Amino acid sequence: MQENLLLPLIIALPLLGFALLGLFGRRIGEPLAGWLASLLVLGSFLLGLMLLLQGGAKWTLAEWLPGIPFSLNLDNLSGVMLMVVAGVGFLIHVWAIGYMHGDPGYSRFFSYFNLFIAAMLVLVLGDSLPVVFIGWEGVGLASYLLIGFWYTERVNADSARKAFIVNRIGDLGFLLAMGLLWSMFGTLSISELVDKVEAGGYSFTTLTLAGFFLLVGAMGKSAQVPLMVWLPDAMAGPTPVSALIHAATMVTAGVYLLVRHAFILHGDGFLAGLIVAVGLLTAYYGALCSLGQWDIKRIVAYTTLSQLGFMFVAVGVGAYWVAIFHIVTHAFFKALMFMTSGSVIHALGGEQDVRQMGGMRKYLPATHLHGLVATAASGGLIPFAGFWSKDAILAYSFEFGPWLWALMLGASVLAALYSIRWYVLVFWGEYRGKAHPHESPAVMLWPNHILMGGALGVGFIGLPYVIDYKNFIEPFLTKAIGDFPHEKLPVVTEWVLIIISAVVAIATLWWGFRFFQQKMPAWYERFQAAALQGFYVDAVYNALLVNPAKGLADLLFGADRGLLAGFTGLGSLMGGLGSLLARLETGALRFYLAGLLVGLVLLVGWGVLR
Amino acid sequence: MIWLIASALLFSIGAYGVLTRRTAILMFLSIELMLNAAALSLISFSKLLGSLDAQVVVLFIIAIAAAEVAVGLGLIVAIFRRRETTSVDELRQLRG
Repeated sequence: MQENLLLPLIIALPLLGFALLGLFGRRIGEPLAGWLASLLVLGSFLLGLMLLLQGGAKWTLAEWLPGIPFSLNLDNLSGVMLMVVAGVGFLIHVWAIGYMHGDPGYSRFFSYFNLFIAAMLVLVLGDSLPVVFIGWEGVGLASYLLIGFWYTERVNADSARKAFIVNRIGDLGFLLAMGLLWSMFGTLSISELVDKVEAGGYSFTTLTLAGFFLLVGAMGKSAQVPLMVWLPDAMAGPTPVSALIHAATMVTAGVYLLVRHAFILHGDGFLAGLIVAVGLLTAYYGALCSLGQWDIKRIVAYTTLSQLGFMFVAVGVGAYWVAIFHIVTHAFFKALMFMTSGSVIHALGGEQDVRQMGGMRKYLPATHLHGLVATAASGGLIPFAGFWSKDAILAYSFEFGPWLWALMLGASVLAALYSIRWYVLVFWGEYRGKAHPHESPAVMLWPNHILMGGALGVGFIGLPYVIDYKNFIEPFLTKAIGDFPHEKLPVVTEWVLIIISAVVAIATLWWGFRFFQQKMPAWYERFQAAALQGFYVDAVYNALLVNPAKGLADLLFGADRGLLAGFTGLGSLMGGLGSLLARLETGALRFYLAGLLVGLVLLVGWGVLR
Repeated sequence: MIWLIASALLFSIGAYGVLTRRTAILMFLSIELMLNAAALSLISFSKLLGSLDAQVVVLFIIAIAAAEVAVGLGLIVAIFRRRETTSVDELRQLRG
């Protein structure tokens, strides 16, 4: 861990891309702008990989704020995240070169994209909490800009604002956590906090409160219940945005934050229970909503919600490395799922309604293959990536309590169902639309090929201990997170769990594959109508929170208008007086001179008579 | 003392001229008269008080008057070329 100047350079590269494309984007033009942005991200990736292989790096600017250094830290945990962000980010950049083809805002898009990557890297690498917060807000800003990318449509701008405002609630939690930790320990560097928490000498209740505030922050960014309403609407942005920001990277930032602060959360029964509850609720809510959506991107958005719930459960039961492992696998298969959807949308000339799709496996063979792998990985089919990370979460849940394991198994059944539903509706049956589908260009296919490789193979870095006693990722991550020993399950139990979850996944996928091809029974139609509306959460929020707030705002605005009217009255009075005087200004020079003379006479007279 | 009275007369003539003439050139000439009246009064003060300080000021006045004539006449000539008149009653378009 030596000081290393290359570390800020990792962040500077995409930031440079943001500045260049922002200033000269129009002149750089298509497709050069896209390639420039992509190569800068690739540069960040390679730099990060090099430093990671050297065993990490640190970089500090001692007095950034009084008493708070600007410190970056690349250890194994942030290294894994950096690989995901820059690696998957690069692939999505390249894919976007093809997807955004011909868009009038082409270079603007890539400039925002680079800004996002830079902010996300600050978030991941930051060692001092204020630095993390800069990244935290930076990704929020980039997300806002990109959701509202096609801002000429009002609904897109509204979605962007919604995401921004809901995230504010979470950010408040983050800020409160920072303030509390500062008042407790007098430092905000995570690496120093670890030692201070070890040392003891503080009230545990306060620490729990700090953990709770951190959780609120994480819930906002990771779209957990009850702050999940922004994520489905975030699909208003272009598809690459959904893939990069709202599936692979930004929404996992909350999980990352919690794992970073594992030393605060660990062993706290209240927080663990809360995180598990939130995660479970989200896993079920997302899965059930996804089963009722008709918009291809909303289907995938809700599946993301559900998978994020899985990650939260992992954090809650103390399986920190598993949460990160699931982030990695999820980044691959969910980005693939989104980009497959994007390729289909692209092929159909912008059609997003799955009722106008179907039969795509005949028209788009390569994309069909991607979709198949994404479905298998997301549905937890053995031996795809999603199976191993989900299985690890299930195993840890079993240690937490068999009831939790049962609930999580139910959630994975739903996960398999929504994956297969998406797949069947898009790729099977007869084509129901009117467009002429065409396969995507190579620039969009190759990133998907690579992601497909990831969705197939990345699970093997974290096999369960009964198969591979020393898997690669667990010791690698625990070095950075801290080792929280736990009772390993007996070998037999572990095997039984693996087999159960594998068999259940296969059975569910098969059943779903048959079920979604036929006509829907009436009970399903009824359920679907509710799920389509997200079980009316939006309506409830509008009635309970948004409309009262709006009413209050209107009231205050009315009072404001009264005040303002008073001020304008005063202003126009003065203006009127001024205009009376202005009429003296005739432009006749000799009239002015006469005035001058009169004044002079008066002054002299006053001087003489005094 | 007599020179002071002369200077006052000169100043009054100048002031009257500024107030009554309509052509910019003649107003300008009247202003010069007033300047010279001031200079004349300063010279006579210097004679009365027996110090040379005021004479320095007079030299300043002469120099500034020269500069003013250069600028002012230039302006007036330019305006005349554009407008074919120098009557200050007609040149009113710069009013507020």
